[in-house]
Amino acid sequence: MPDFTTGVVVIGGGSTGAGALRDLAMRGIDAMLIEKGDLASGTTGRSHGLLHSGGRYCVNDLAAAIECVEEGRILRRIARTAIEDTGGYFLSVTEEDEAWEPRFVEGCAKAGITCERISLDEARRREPALSKQVRTAFWLPEDGHLDPFYLVMGNVESARRRGAQVRTYTEVTGFTREGDRVTGVITRDAVTGEQTSIGCQAVINATGAWSGFVAKLLDVEVKVVPVKGVMVVLSHRLAHAAINRCHKPGDGDIVVPGLSVAILGTTARRVPHPEVLPIEWDEVRLMLEEGAMMLDGVTAARAMRAYAGVRPLYDLGAEAEGREMSRNFAVIDHEERDGVAGFTSIVGGKVTTYRLMAERVTHVVARKLGVTTPCSTADVPLNDRDDELDQLRHRPAQMGAPKPHLGEDYLKPLVCECELVRPEDADPWLEDPAVRGLEDMRRRTRAGMGPCQAAVCSYRLAGRLVTARHQDGAMATRAMADFLETRWRGVRHVFWGSQLRQAQVTTGLHLELFNLDRQLMLENRPPPVGEDHGVGLAEAAQATRPR
Amino acid sequence: MRFDIAVVGSGLAALVATRSLQKAGRQPVLIWPGLSSLYFVYATIDVLGYRDATATEPVDNPRAAIGELIAAHPDHVYARAGLEALTAGTALALDWLREAGFSWRGGLDRNVVLPTATGTPKPSCLIPDSMAGGDLGRDDPVIFCGFEGYEDFVPELAASNLSRTWGHAPGSVRGLRIRPPRFAPGRLFTSIDLARSFEDVAFRREVADRVRTSIATNGDRVRIGVPAVLGLTHVADTHARFEEEVGHPVFEIPTLPPSVLALRLFDRLRKHLQETGIELIWAAPAHAAEVSDGRCHRIQLKSPGREQAVEARAYVLALEDTADGAMRAGVHTIQDPFFHRVLARSDVPTERTLESLFKPQPFAQVGYRITDRLQPADDDGRPLADNVFVAGGAIAGYDPSGTKSRGGMAIATGYRAAQEAMAA
Repeated sequence: MPDFTTGVVVIGGGSTGAGALRDLAMRGIDAMLIEKGDLASGTTGRSHGLLHSGGRYCVNDLAAAIECVEEGRILRRIARTAIEDTGGYFLSVTEEDEAWEPRFVEGCAKAGITCERISLDEARRREPALSKQVRTAFWLPEDGHLDPFYLVMGNVESARRRGAQVRTYTEVTGFTREGDRVTGVITRDAVTGEQTSIGCQAVINATGAWSGFVAKLLDVEVKVVPVKGVMVVLSHRLAHAAINRCHKPGDGDIVVPGLSVAILGTTARRVPHPEVLPIEWDEVRLMLEEGAMMLDGVTAARAMRAYAGVRPLYDLGAEAEGREMSRNFAVIDHEERDGVAGFTSIVGGKVTTYRLMAERVTHVVARKLGVTTPCSTADVPLNDRDDELDQLRHRPAQMGAPKPHLGEDYLKPLVCECELVRPEDADPWLEDPAVRGLEDMRRRTRAGMGPCQAAVCSYRLAGRLVTARHQDGAMATRAMADFLETRWRGVRHVFWGSQLRQAQVTTGLHLELFNLDRQLMLENRPPPVGEDHGVGLAEAAQATRPR
Repeated sequence: MRFDIAVVGSGLAALVATRSLQKAGRQPVLIWPGLSSLYFVYATIDVLGYRDATATEPVDNPRAAIGELIAAHPDHVYARAGLEALTAGTALALDWLREAGFSWRGGLDRNVVLPTATGTPKPSCLIPDSMAGGDLGRDDPVIFCGFEGYEDFVPELAASNLSRTWGHAPGSVRGLRIRPPRFAPGRLFTSIDLARSFEDVAFRREVADRVRTSIATNGDRVRIGVPAVLGLTHVADTHARFEEEVGHPVFEIPTLPPSVLALRLFDRLRKHLQETGIELIWAAPAHAAEVSDGRCHRIQLKSPGREQAVEARAYVLALEDTADGAMRAGVHTIQDPFFHRVLARSDVPTERTLESLFKPQPFAQVGYRITDRLQPADDDGRPLADNVFVAGGAIAGYDPSGTKSRGGMAIATGYRAAQEAMAA
């Protein structure tokens, strides 16, 4: 007997899972999302944030490019606050790049991508930081920045308002079946180890790079190739628009300005497991060197950290590897393909087309459940409520200018000065049981994402865990240490210049002023090194249970 | 510009070196490259809190422990500077603090363990009187008192932590908050705003009233730990009067930056040097030393819009830390600004750090090799210049974070470098 039942279980809290949850809820289907870590903690939250116009795929992957064009236009309607309409440039910097240009222009035309060749003078007037090596510039107004955290939280909150439920830090360890039909999932709390049996009519596997592992629990095969990408975060935007290299997609050919930073991306290396994502120095160096070919100042700017994500490339059985593989996606109806009813996978794709992926998979599942309500996710904005809940409404992206307190006559307190996070931006999340650690707070508020990398806000947020969430000091201190350690692991890869100096403030504060290293020793628990969420979550899980 | 002895640096090592020269009747110039990061976090003078970075038992007697440390590790910074320099430098520093108007206490024979803003016991050696009430060697109950709307000191967090690691009896540690008068709820205010307000008698009395009313334990042996905001400058006066008005012992606890304790200390000592006739060259980072015949003849200073040369008979390079901007940390090399020597080379930036932030970091060890006289040395141990001496964090192996020894190491090396400079 299941502990409780729902209509559809969606496994995976990335953009696709969150999109499917919303789609189901909007079709009136009872749904629950199960995520083994935090929302947007896998591929989505580790993307570079480029909202693809399609220009990147228009030569080699026309179908994917066309989807980008259409979805980009839809997202500008429904996810306004998650998008910065920066536009983008495609730049040729070598002769080989120039040879690519005719194919690029033709591809854009075929895909219906707005693309305009502009003079170098005009390009430099608009983007003074363009490097001397730039030979040709194309303007693609539909490139942009998409905030992946906001996107996922926006979808999830929208779904919750329609009755959908979310469980984070909950791993699916098995399925219940009746004959060839899946009747539910068995989950385990990643921290307490508590097992729960959830009955349902259908399961959507939206676990991206992890799809194969979930499918294997049902003895069916889903071949997903995990391909690592390394990115470097700079503390300035450097350019107004997204910068792409006009060539066959390769390493380090994107610079995405978004919010207060610019992100250099990315590499493509096949990895044995989606959670084995070592950041190698040659990858970091390559990002800086390649970025500098397009933009001056890339190597001089302050690098704040490096991080790695994993692409969930779907193996269509072709010989292609890594970037050669399609960024297209597929819905796998396991009833049809494997004779396992009630289980459907959505694989491949990318964040820009998450909504379409969610629509396609939801369509298949809804039809099986006999629900004929059409999809409305392309028409209804994510923030479709009257009262203020938009946690990020003060952001520059929304305001158009970095004036967080416009119209207010005095300065208000901030939890995080680097990213202008106010107490009221943080506090609602302290009541959300899906939020367990301070990294989870970061994904929802941006606290800790600025130059000081949580040196200051970690203490204030730990304080709020005690005052607002009523955790004890041990848990709050543990959360603070975990937060600092996670940030530190990214900072280490760009440890020179200002970021090295910054470390002096961080160690000065936490080791010398607070004596935090001894506090951790007194707790008799060495600081964890490993996953983002670290330890201390068992207590967090307990504390967030409704009292 | 020609001087007797030039001291370069903005931290405690530079201040102590300058003061030592002054007291010895010399005429030093202090070249202040700009505020170091530690300016914002410095609170006490820690000499040796723990024997090593992994010890959990605090050192009880720093002088004795340093004696043992020196015997066991002849290359340790304390061994190079010498226990005598630490002793003489500490006496000089305490005298100076008194003369400059501070009330500090402590000595090398005893550490005092005080609670931090995370409620963690931490051993310090020389401390302002205003912090002394926090001595965890005494068993009086502790009440952490914070201010509503001020999140850079969270009394609830400090109380929860300290009650698990220290509390003598149930309920002997607790936290409370009072609403500070004059600060509208929801309005941003910092430690500086509070400290400035505390210098106003009416504000201070009003706060004292509210604290007294809130604790409501007339006669009980409790002490009140507050964020270190009891006056921006005249700390002794404000603290003593506030304590009287509250009716219980009150002690300050250092906060997130800006640290009022550090501002009080550095601003006052720097001004005191100026008041007593020491010339200061402001915000002028050094970028080259000119050396010939084994002696440094001048150093070049460079700041936006200004370049100047300073000539002196001897130089004390008292950089606060390898990372305070004085050292140039490139992608693969860390170079010093005077001799442009590569002090550390790494193929990969991650080599400069460990995977955990809470462990001793390789980058903190970077600095000059030194001779027995604290001269910066080449790879063979020969001085780069006979008349240049190093103090503070620019010395290789100088990593006070894990052992909580920043102040003591600054004093010992600053004092010793000054002695050597006079003899040069």
